[in-house]
Amino acid sequence: MSIFEYNGSAVVAMVGKNCFAIASDRRLGVNLQTVATDFQRIFKIHDKLYIGLSGLATDVQTLHQRLVFRHKLYHLREERDMKPQTFASLVSAMLYEKRFGPYFCMPVIAGLGDDDVPFICTMDAIGAKELAKDFVVSGTASESLYGACESMYKPDMEPEELFETISQALLSSVDRDCLSGWGGYVVLVTPTEVQERTLKGRMD
Amino acid sequence: MGDSQYSFSLTTFSPSGKLVQIEYALMAVGSGQTSLGIKAANGVVIATEKKLPSILVDEGSVQKIQLVTTNIGVVYSGMGPDFRVLVRKSRKQAQQYHRLYKEQIPVTQLVRETATVMQEFTQSGGVRPFGVSLLVAGYDDNGPQLYQVDPSGSYFSWKASAMGKNVSNAKTFLEKRYTDDMELDDAVHTAILTLKEGFEGQISAKNIEIGIIGADRKFRVLTPAEIDDYLAEVE
Amino acid sequence: MKLDTSGLNSIVPFSGTDDGLEENIHLAVSSFQLPRTTDFDGFQKKAVEMVKPAKGTTTLAFIFKEGVIVSADSRASMGGYISSQSVKKIIEINPYMLGTMAGGAADCQFWHRNLGIKCRLHELANKRRISVTGASKLLANILYSYRGMGLSIGTMIAGWDETGPGLYYVDAEGGRLKGKRFSVGSGSPYAYGVLDSGYRYDMTIEEAAELARRAIYHATFRDGASGGVASVYYVGPDGWKKLSGDDVGELHYKYYPVVPSPVEQEMVEIPVS
Repeated sequence: MSIFEYNGSAVVAMVGKNCFAIASDRRLGVNLQTVATDFQRIFKIHDKLYIGLSGLATDVQTLHQRLVFRHKLYHLREERDMKPQTFASLVSAMLYEKRFGPYFCMPVIAGLGDDDVPFICTMDAIGAKELAKDFVVSGTASESLYGACESMYKPDMEPEELFETISQALLSSVDRDCLSGWGGYVVLVTPTEVQERTLKGRMD
Repeated sequence: MGDSQYSFSLTTFSPSGKLVQIEYALMAVGSGQTSLGIKAANGVVIATEKKLPSILVDEGSVQKIQLVTTNIGVVYSGMGPDFRVLVRKSRKQAQQYHRLYKEQIPVTQLVRETATVMQEFTQSGGVRPFGVSLLVAGYDDNGPQLYQVDPSGSYFSWKASAMGKNVSNAKTFLEKRYTDDMELDDAVHTAILTLKEGFEGQISAKNIEIGIIGADRKFRVLTPAEIDDYLAEVE
Repeated sequence: MKLDTSGLNSIVPFSGTDDGLEENIHLAVSSFQLPRTTDFDGFQKKAVEMVKPAKGTTTLAFIFKEGVIVSADSRASMGGYISSQSVKKIIEINPYMLGTMAGGAADCQFWHRNLGIKCRLHELANKRRISVTGASKLLANILYSYRGMGLSIGTMIAGWDETGPGLYYVDAEGGRLKGKRFSVGSGSPYAYGVLDSGYRYDMTIEEAAELARRAIYHATFRDGASGGVASVYYVGPDGWKKLSGDDVGELHYKYYPVVPSPVEQEMVEIPVS
């Protein structure tokens, strides 16, 4: 079994009209054994920028700490928040630094840029960026997430509908994956507010 | 720095608390050719004298104003060779920033990095401070910007500044002429007029250099023909 | 090359004439085509790796005062992928006997049906139902004859016969154990935890069913490869009866209702004295 599947994960981000949503499952397992059902994989970088990290839990936490450190340093130096694109480049560069001993994480980055234009992207474990206009997925449930998003996504959704769509896509996807699920976590970001919600899901 | 027995810092405090090496470096700047810069409402201009040691030198081969990135230019007063070293380090710094963030380095960041290098040369072993002051002109998301960086590593943002042989006269002149709503073209004229003050001999397109950057964020050094046009306008 | 297991058929004490029916059954079972290969073991290993759905499972069965309880989840998975959430893992061999399914789905289904046929034939020949002991031994002997050929079965045969409740564990390695309490599958350690701590011989049927349900639920919670529906069967003197089939997705919130998180106390200005 791949080291990427050791803990199990599902992360997805979607773009709506002047907003975005990023969601993940809450399971932390050791192979098939479920150890915790309140694991965080989505992290705030600043008010309008979030990152979701699928893959090995220990690397998720380490990478998150390093990213927060780098963003704080950037903030002190340049007295501004990073643009989503800039942050994506930083993550990519940091992952490629470890080309021959990578972090076993696949990031999903979502943010609102200048003029509140939403931005989403994903990467492999060594920093190959993949930009998308609609949605990005990552984790052990990525195949079923692609299927769910492909059929449920509509362009230019309003925040309420976007939340409903990403939640349904996440919950139905993890129901086809042994290694992810056990509840969900959604962050919905609009230019004026951020909504965090935990989802009830199947606990098997 | 090096491990040799000379690796101690050559810049040491005098009993009165001064770093005389830095003061000597500032004197090298003060006796260098005049350079100046003006920040206009929609751009920045930097200009300098280009007096060559002999008429036999091909003036086309000397470029005192250099680009660091496409949107940042720099000029100096003081020692030409030291300037080259700083330009090389600054360009590298700018490229490293670009590699990391896929974004042009902001002027403030570039200036800070350059100033850091200059400061390190006042405290490291086996080296001497740079014998130059820099005027950095750039245009980024924060608008037009003009910075002066000194051998000590200190830097300031200016609306207009001058350095080199005629500093005080030039600064007095700029203080009189400067207005906040100045357009880039006016700033070029003012720059030429300031250089003309206390210019020894006849000013021409061959013995001055001018660099400008406008809202297009493309820094460029004016060609002699363009300078001639401006010179004709200020006559 | 064919493997001849016809010798096994003598286990069935069939004393009728050769009416052709029996032969057909025996043909289907006793002469599988074997692969033409020199490295039979290596081939088997690879073949087993290829045909391995329904690997993760939780099944359990236990004897108590009133009879036997048999319970199982309903998930079938292939690697990390959940291929079904509605698998019947409790196989009804006859009205008095149940088998559980863990391991390869096809292997379990086929050999349980085969066992059903043999049990019925026994019944016809002897005018009485086969004992749980006999049925489980029938299966164990067949599995033993295929030992090392890659069958994947971990099953429990539970039922009621003339001697009362019966429960046996039978696996593809040829093992056969008699016992009061078994759990089989990837989720079995979790199920055992609940089962062992909650088991009493003198439970009522309702208590026993609830214990089985809880054990399966807890196994589906901890084990990624178990899930779906927790079905509970009871076998008593009058045969088996399905007591319940609960979606564990709902069961979780029945056992652990969501309590609205307490609102953080609002900050009040301290009055200046």
